[in-house]
Formats: sequence, structure tokens, C-alpha cells
Amino acid sequence: MVGPVGLLQVVRGHGVPRVDCKGSSMGEIMGTVFNIQRYSIDDGPGIRSTVFLKGCPLNCKWCSNPESQNRNPEISHRDSLCSKCGICVQVCEAAAITVDEAGVHIDRDRCNVCGKCIDACDREVLELMGRSMTVEEVFSQLQRDTDYYESSGGGVTICGGEALYQPEFTFALLKRCREVGIHTCLDTAGYGTSSALQRILQYTSLVFYDIKHLDARIHRELTGKQNGLIMRNLELIIRSGVPVVIRVPYIPGHNDSKENIEALAKTVSGMSKEAKVNLLPYHRFGMGKYAMLDRRYELAKLLPPSKEDLSKAKEIIESFGLACEVAV
Amino acid sequence: MTITDSMLSKANAKEIKSVVVMTERLKKLKREWEDADPVVYVDDTLLFTKSWKETDGLPVDLRWAKAFAKRLEECPILLRDDELIVGSLTKFTRGNNVLVAMKPREVLEMAKTGRFDRKLSDISATYIDPEDLKLLIEDAEYWVQHMPTVNYVNEALKEELGEGHFDLMFDRGMVFEGRAVRVDPDRGLFQGWGAFGGGIAQPTMPVIHNGLNHVINLAKAEIDKMVDQGACLPGASAAALRKYYLLKATIVSCEAIIAYAHRYADLARDLALKERNPVRKQELEKIAEVCDWVPGNRPRNYWEAVQSLRFLHLACWKESSERPEVGIGRIDQILYPFYEEDLAQGRLTRQEAGELLGAFWLKIRETENLVTIKREHRAAPGTLLPDVTLCGIDENGRDLTNELSWLVLEVMRQIKLSEPAVYIRWHEGMDEDFMLHALECNRDFGGGNPAFLNDKLGTDRYLARGVKPEDATNWLASGCLGYHLECGEHMAGMFSINQAKIFELTLYNGFDPRTKKQLGLQTGDVTQFTSLEQFYEAFFQQEDYFAEILRKHYFIWWSSENMNSPMSGLRAAMLYEDCIPAGLTSREGGARYPVCRASWIGDRGITDVADDLAAIEHLVFRSNKFTMAELLDAMAANWEGHDDIRQMCLNAPKYGNDDDFVDEIFNRVSLTTQMILTGRPDPFTGEKPMLFKGAAAGHVTQGASVGALPNGRKAGTPLNDAGTSAMPGMDVEGPTALINSATKAPHAWETVGITHNMKFPKAMLTSTAKLENLAALVKIFFARGGWHIQFNIHDSDELLKAKENPEQYKNVLVRVGGYSAYFVDLPPELQDEIIARTLHEVY
Ligand code: SF4
Ligand code: SF4
Repeated sequence: MVGPVGLLQVVRGHGVPRVDCKGSSMGEIMGTVFNIQRYSIDDGPGIRSTVFLKGCPLNCKWCSNPESQNRNPEISHRDSLCSKCGICVQVCEAAAITVDEAGVHIDRDRCNVCGKCIDACDREVLELMGRSMTVEEVFSQLQRDTDYYESSGGGVTICGGEALYQPEFTFALLKRCREVGIHTCLDTAGYGTSSALQRILQYTSLVFYDIKHLDARIHRELTGKQNGLIMRNLELIIRSGVPVVIRVPYIPGHNDSKENIEALAKTVSGMSKEAKVNLLPYHRFGMGKYAMLDRRYELAKLLPPSKEDLSKAKEIIESFGLACEVAV
Repeated sequence: MTITDSMLSKANAKEIKSVVVMTERLKKLKREWEDADPVVYVDDTLLFTKSWKETDGLPVDLRWAKAFAKRLEECPILLRDDELIVGSLTKFTRGNNVLVAMKPREVLEMAKTGRFDRKLSDISATYIDPEDLKLLIEDAEYWVQHMPTVNYVNEALKEELGEGHFDLMFDRGMVFEGRAVRVDPDRGLFQGWGAFGGGIAQPTMPVIHNGLNHVINLAKAEIDKMVDQGACLPGASAAALRKYYLLKATIVSCEAIIAYAHRYADLARDLALKERNPVRKQELEKIAEVCDWVPGNRPRNYWEAVQSLRFLHLACWKESSERPEVGIGRIDQILYPFYEEDLAQGRLTRQEAGELLGAFWLKIRETENLVTIKREHRAAPGTLLPDVTLCGIDENGRDLTNELSWLVLEVMRQIKLSEPAVYIRWHEGMDEDFMLHALECNRDFGGGNPAFLNDKLGTDRYLARGVKPEDATNWLASGCLGYHLECGEHMAGMFSINQAKIFELTLYNGFDPRTKKQLGLQTGDVTQFTSLEQFYEAFFQQEDYFAEILRKHYFIWWSSENMNSPMSGLRAAMLYEDCIPAGLTSREGGARYPVCRASWIGDRGITDVADDLAAIEHLVFRSNKFTMAELLDAMAANWEGHDDIRQMCLNAPKYGNDDDFVDEIFNRVSLTTQMILTGRPDPFTGEKPMLFKGAAAGHVTQGASVGALPNGRKAGTPLNDAGTSAMPGMDVEGPTALINSATKAPHAWETVGITHNMKFPKAMLTSTAKLENLAALVKIFFARGGWHIQFNIHDSDELLKAKENPEQYKNVLVRVGGYSAYFVDLPPELQDEIIARTLHEVY
């Protein structure tokens, strides 16, 4: 774990000029944030606060955070809390909302996100996903837990959506954190411009990097985009010297073939033997959130992978000299 | 006190973790206890009554001691198969002791209405033998006839403060949950708390280490000195005679405990003679040898030290009769010299030490009193409060954590009994491995055990009151989430003041909607108020008014109690050496620091009041959602037909989310209240009273008398459960935010107890890295000035409840790497999957 002292050394080691952006216009940069999670202990070392940005250029079928995909704010509904009183229906001028036995439905084409239904519902069923916030606003939330970060070797993690999809915001926020000695993790799928990534890396202590598939064509089928940029960016990160953990969502029937795992391990080990690989077993817990956004979950029938399959994949990766862990 | 190196070698730590506490022997004994039904045990009360009749006319101290002696000398004793540590309170596997003289009407009512077979808690008796029932009824009838007909404390209060005063306490203590004075419940022979008066006493290190013979010798020498030196100076004869009888009573009591141990020695010898199994025979011979020697003398080895602690705990328990708050104290310090010596001499293995400690744990858990209906309503049912304290820094700044601290945690983890509760005196330099061990045990144990106390804050508060460093550092957890000096501090009186009720009265201009009486001051019609400032002013005025009543109330009660039941706290005289030359019990100021017996004021409901004010400011003054009059109407209807208003109130900003708007209200209410309540000196010591924001069950009983509140709470439901707890389910920003809210101002300084309860899903504690994060959280909690923190670990039960009642569990998170969602948002089949995963501790 990197303590506060170690952190400063990392900063100096990289010879990064310490520019103060406080008071400058950088603090005013806006981002779309859908959640700031405190005491986050699964997104990097120690006690962290994780900033979830909204909007992602990829469109993975198995995404467990569908509320993070759309760059624009959306209304979600927590149907388990709904009393079916229908007040929201009455206040909606766009006639976008309906309520029936099954719960709330919002016609996303009609809804203009005016928020009237949210104010009208007294049971907190309806929630606005995504808020525009300035870097300073987010930072003032994050710095409330600075002493916890210090005592636990934790810090701040920025993830998405896709952090590189809002590069100016990500850059300014990570810079702001690092200037006061807060450890920063960038959690990204790598689909952003290399120049933006390069700037951001100056203020990044650790990268979590998703790789979904090695085959460009299949990658496009699964995520909507090819993987060339992603692989080039990985190389860039490795060359920068910022420590990186590769995260591979392990999705049965989609990217779990022996060939793919081998290709992945081979490519990564060709770039660096230091990189760690984490396998993230597929789970369906995101399913509930699709319903909250009136979206269909395509993989509803897909079951999580078996322990045996996961440990086989782990063995393959380790056989290339890489450290590998299966997340729980 | 033994000073040790706190760092345990890895090898020893490993050995301790591999100790099998639950040997076949202990598994069997535990099973027997679990399978046994509670049975009412009557021999003890019959012996008490018999003795009382025999001693008519003697001074009350001596009568009490003689009755105590008879109960120990003539009660049936038993030694179970395979037991190593002996001393049973009753003759049943799971007997419930009762001393009828202390509450004859309640017992009579229970006996006659067949209420013994109800089961409200695991310490309620379920069965009584028909013959015993007859004897019990006879005993109760005798005492109903012979107990004083008037409650002198009540009479004194009525005379001083008027009839209406009782409304403030009546029915579960509306404003004051008076510890002593209650109109209806039955206090029997002494009509007050009598023998138990606000008393916390427990076996102490000097008494265990020196033996009771040492105490007897001191008392005898003091008597000789008194007679030789002519202590009966003019005007002092009453005090001298009191002292004389107190010392005699101390001698009689100590001798009785030694005699009781000798009965066990004889029994063990008899059983050994008949025993065929050579291994058991040897054990029985060993038990005989141990009981011959302790608690009269200084233990010669670890086994004797554990047995001595058992006998003294049992004796304190018997003597206290009705108040079960008999702690165990700093067990790792008390036993350590013997443990260390035995290990060094090769006389003891860690495995044997663990089993003996486990055997002791089981004996503690089997010690039960019959809980009568009334007591159960006002106290925490099922709570026995035999607190254990571990670790701590001494006056030289050395860490006293030792191998036994590790072993005690291991015993607690494996034996899985709800009690004793274990408290760790946490300090900044605490060994990280030990801390991880403690948190691991907490996780595996589940419910809040061990809890952590701020070592430095505890000691500093004593130093500030002029206690010498060697004593100020020697404190331990006691009773219901308080703490005291080992050398005999005595909490004097304790009253709770119900802030939520006072706030409710403020809302109705001092009028109580429940009793339909004007109980408070007329501080103004709140529907005419135009700013929050006016609410503050009115509330603090009411508080000030009640604080003054409370103080008078306390003065009169305490004085009357001391005058009328002088034998109270006898055990405190035998446990604290300073009481002997002083000729006073610790309760009366006989212990080393009389100044440390100031009253405790239980201060409940502060976070509820903060949320109330926040809701008013937010909804009435800032966003004009409704008027104060409309809010009062909705509350008067207990929200019926006003669901909308209630929901808005529930959704208003709540304490516990690191939201400065509410937290500033909380700070102002809490700190001003602190000033008001501690601003008047304690009438007996001239010192500031201490505040006590405990948890246990007071929030349930006190909530019962409070109507609907602006925070959205319904009438009669529990208040927030501890000093700095948020409204259930309303802290949605996570543990760091809750701690930040609780520690923005020095809420802990003037208190002896302020608990911070936190809930964690087991999944947040499944790896060393996660436990390290929790350790870091504890560190920051204390660095920010927190006093007491404990973690409840939720398991699948909690999630099942969340599935049923989503509105109350909106904040339960499910975390899987890179993903998080609220549990209640998952479709039912996935909720089940999470529940199943939780059972295997991996979600
Ligand atoms: S207003 Fe709220 S509770 Fe009522 S139907 Fe709409 S979402 Fe459900
Ligand atoms: S946000 Fe506005 S438009 Fe959309 S459903 Fe609610 S009320 Fe209708």
C-alpha cells in the first residue's frame, strides 16, 4: 500500500511540475457525475472514495452499471419503494410516466428530465441519475475523508462510465487530488485519445485497465467498438511506468475461450511482466438497474462462471509469468 | 501491575489462534446449558428470609451480611460432570435466582398469574416446580406483609416537589427515567434500590491477588485500632458504630465466601473418592486443592486465579441480588502474572489455559437472575452486563496488551456466547496484528463484540478530575456502557433525561399531549414562531427548567436512600481497601476518590432532536412545504391521513450523512445541552455531573412515551439507539460520513458513555486488507475524539428483513468489484442469491 509519504515520492519521481490549479479556471470544469461512493474498499488499496462518471463510448452487453452508459442525466425508479399512488403520472407534463402493477415505466423518448416527478414523489422512488458538478464541488466532497485515506493507504478512484470520455474533468480532478497528496486510481476501459490519457497519467498513482477481448472483430461485436486504440493505450500506460492492474471481465460464452485468454496473457506479458491481471467473474446483479431505467437486459439467462473454469483461466494467465487473481 | 511487551511473537500468536477452546468437555457443558430450560430457583430466597427473621433487631449491615452468609453456607451446591471451574448459583443447569424480599409484589403477581411460563427473553424463567411455587408464594406473601408500606423516597419527593412531579417519571419515565424512584414498581424490603443502589462493584485485582484473608485481617486490625484509639469522639459515635458494624459485616461476608469455597473442596474430595476414571479422579482432587486455597489466599497458579475470580464474581452477584451489573474487569491483567509464571515453569500449556478460560466463560453465562415483568420493561432484557476489559496504557505509557488479551478474544470467538461483552482499551500504538485479531473475532462473533474504547480519553478525563496517574490509567468498562476506576469509583445516582420528550413538550408549549397536563414551562406557541432560533430558545429554556428539577430530585432521592438503606454496597467495602479505614462503602464516598462518585445523567434523544429541528428548518422555514400548524396536525394524528407530510419529514436532511446543515444543528443542541446539564454542580461532591449517552434498551422504553416527531418518527416507537446513532436506515453516505457527523464537535468529553454503533455487512470484512481498512476507520474515529465504537456485522438475517421491508433498508449496499447497488433494488431472485452468498460469507 502506498502511504502518504510514498505518494509524494511517486509524484517527485515522475518529475511532474506541481502546478496549483486552485483558484484557476480548472476548478470550474464541469463533469457529469452519477455517484460518489465513500468508504469504497473494492476499488483500489485502502479506504477510498470512488467518483462514478456518466457516459461511456462502449456498450458492453454485460455492463453491470447501465446508469453509467448514457452521457445525459436520466431518471431511474426504485420500484420496491413505490406505493403506486400515481402522483408522478399527474405531474408529468410530457406524459412520459406510467404506473401499473409491475411498477413505474418511463418513456425515455418523451421524458425531458424536467425532474417534476422526482419532487412530487414523497417516497424517494424516483432519482435523477447524473448531475453536472464542477471539479471543486466534487473535490470538496472527496476531501472530507482525507484522514481516512491517509490512515489506510487509500485515496480516490475515478471510474465510469468511462473516465476518458470526460478527459478535461478527469485530468483536473486527479490533478487536484494529487496536489494535496491524495493517492489516485484511474479505472478505465481505455477508449479515449492517447494525448488525453498521457496528460491524465501524470496525476495517476495506479491504473485499473479493462480488457474485454483480444480479437478486434469480436471486440466490436461485444462492445460496439474495435480494440486497437485500447491496446495502444495500454502500451502507453505501461511505458509511462504508472503501475497497472489489468481487469478482465470473465463472461461465459463471450470472451472465456482458451484462445482468447491465451492471446490476452501473451500480449500483456509481451508488454510487461509486472502488470497484474484480475479476473472479474460475470455476475447478474446489474439486472435490477436495467429495469430501473426501462431497459432490457440481454444476458438475463446467462449464469456466472464456475470456479473450475475461473481457476483454469487463472492458470493459463500465470503460465505466462503474470500474477493473476480472481475477484470475489 | 504486570508490564509486558505488547508485541506477541508470531509463533505465540499462531499457537493462541490454534487453541481449541471448545474441547469435547466444553462442547458438552455448553450443550447441556443450551438444552436446559430455565427453572425458577427458590432456595436462595428462602434462606434469606429465614436469616432475616433470625436477626431481627441487629443493625442492618450485619443482618444483610448474615443473610448473605447463610445463603452461601446452606444452599445446595453441585459440581457437574467434567467441570473444571466450579461454583453454581443454583442447583439447576439453568436456574434463575430470585430474592423475593426485594420485589415481593412483582413476584407474587407473577406466581399467581402463572406468568413464569412466558418467554420474553432468554433469561425469563419458563418453569417452576409446583412445590417450589407454593414456597415462593408463601415467601412473597410474607414479604408483602412485612415490607415497609410507604416508599420513603417517594414521600420525600412528593413533599418537596409536589404530586405532579411524578408525571415526569410515571410510565417508563417520560422525562426522567429515574433509576430509583418510581411510583409503581416494587422495591421491596428497602423501598429504594437498597442494596444495589447505583452500584457497580466487581472482583478487583488487589482482592484476587491478596486473597480475602488479607481483607479480613485489615478489617480486624481496623476494629482493634478503633477500640484502642478511642474513635468514639464526641459527636462521632454514630459514625463510629456504623463503621464498626460495616467492618464486622465485611468480615462475616468474606469468611462466608471462603467457607463456600471449602464446601466445594469437600464435595470434590467426596466425588474423587467415588470416581472410577483415573483422569477425572485427578481433576477432582485438583479442584479440591484449588478450592481449599482460594479465594482466601493469593492464588499459587493460573487455575487458582481463574477459580478465585469465579468465586468472587459469584459472590458479588449473590450479594447484589437484583442488579446484575457485576463486571469481570481487566481479566488479562488480573490473571497474567499466574499465566506467565505457569507457562515459564512448564506447568501450563496455552491449550489448557484456553480451556480453563472457556470453562470460566460458561460459568459466567449460567449465572442468571429471574427477571420480573417490571424490570424487564425498563431494563435491557437478556442483558447481564458482566463486562470484560482488555489492554490499556499504564501510567508509564506502556501498553499492557499481553498474550491473555489475545487468548480472551479467541475464547470469545469460539465459545460464541452473547456475554460477557468484551471491551478493548484502544490506543494509537496498538499492535496492528492484535487489532486485526480483534476485528477478525468481531467479524466471526457478529454482534458488537469486542467494542473499542478510547484509552487516552478515558484516562484524560480522570486526570482532569485530579486522579493520580497510576489510578487514572487503571479504569475498566462497567455496566451498561459506562466505565469506572478499579480502585472503587462509585457512580452515585443515575437519571436519564429524555430530550425527545422535552422537545415534544416544547412543541406544545409545555403541555403534554399524552397525560393532558402542563408539565413544562410555557415557552410560546410554536405556530407563531418565525425562525429556528425561537425553537432553540424555547427548547433550551425547557431543558434548563427540567435540569433543575432533576437535580433537586436527585438530591432528595440520594439522601433518603443513604439514610434508609445504609448497608448498600457492602460488597464494595470488601473489594476496595480504602473503604476499610474510611468506614464507609464506596457509594457513600469511602473509596479512594470520593469526588469520582458524581451523578450520571443519562442523556437520550439528542440526534432525534437535531433531526426534528432540521426538518422544521428545511420544510417549514426554507421551502415552505407546509406550516407548523399543519405539521402539528399531522403529528397529532400520528401521521394518519398525512402520509405526504410524513414522507417529506422522513426525506428531510438527517444527521449521520456528513451534511453540515444538520450536523451544525446537532452540534449546537448537543453542546448546549451538555452545558445545561453539567452546569449545575452535583449536590454531593460539588463536581460536574457526567453525562451518559448509552445504548442498551433505554431508547425503547423512553421512546414509548414520546409522540410523533417532526423527523417522521411515529408515536411510541424507539428513539435512535445510541448517543451518536443516526435514525435507522437514514445514514446513507457510509461509515466515514457517519463518523464525521458524530465527531465534528467534542460530544464525548463530558460523558462517561457515548456509544457509536455501526453496522457492516460481513462481506466488508472478508480479507485482511478489508480488516485493515476497518482498523484505519477505528483509528480515525478515535483521532477525531470518539469514545466508544462497536460494529455489528450483518448477516443473511438482516438481508431477509431488508427483502421484506425495503423502506427501512434503503441504504444496504451490495458490493461486487467495480459494481455497487442497493440491495432493495435487486429482483427477488437475485436478492436470494445474495442471501445465499452471504451465508457463505462472500458477497
Ligand atoms: S409518485 Fe412515487 S410512489 Fe407514487 S406512483 Fe409515482 S413513483 Fe410510485
Ligand atoms: S422527469 Fe419530467 S418528463 Fe420525465 S418523467 Fe419525470 S416529470 Fe415526466
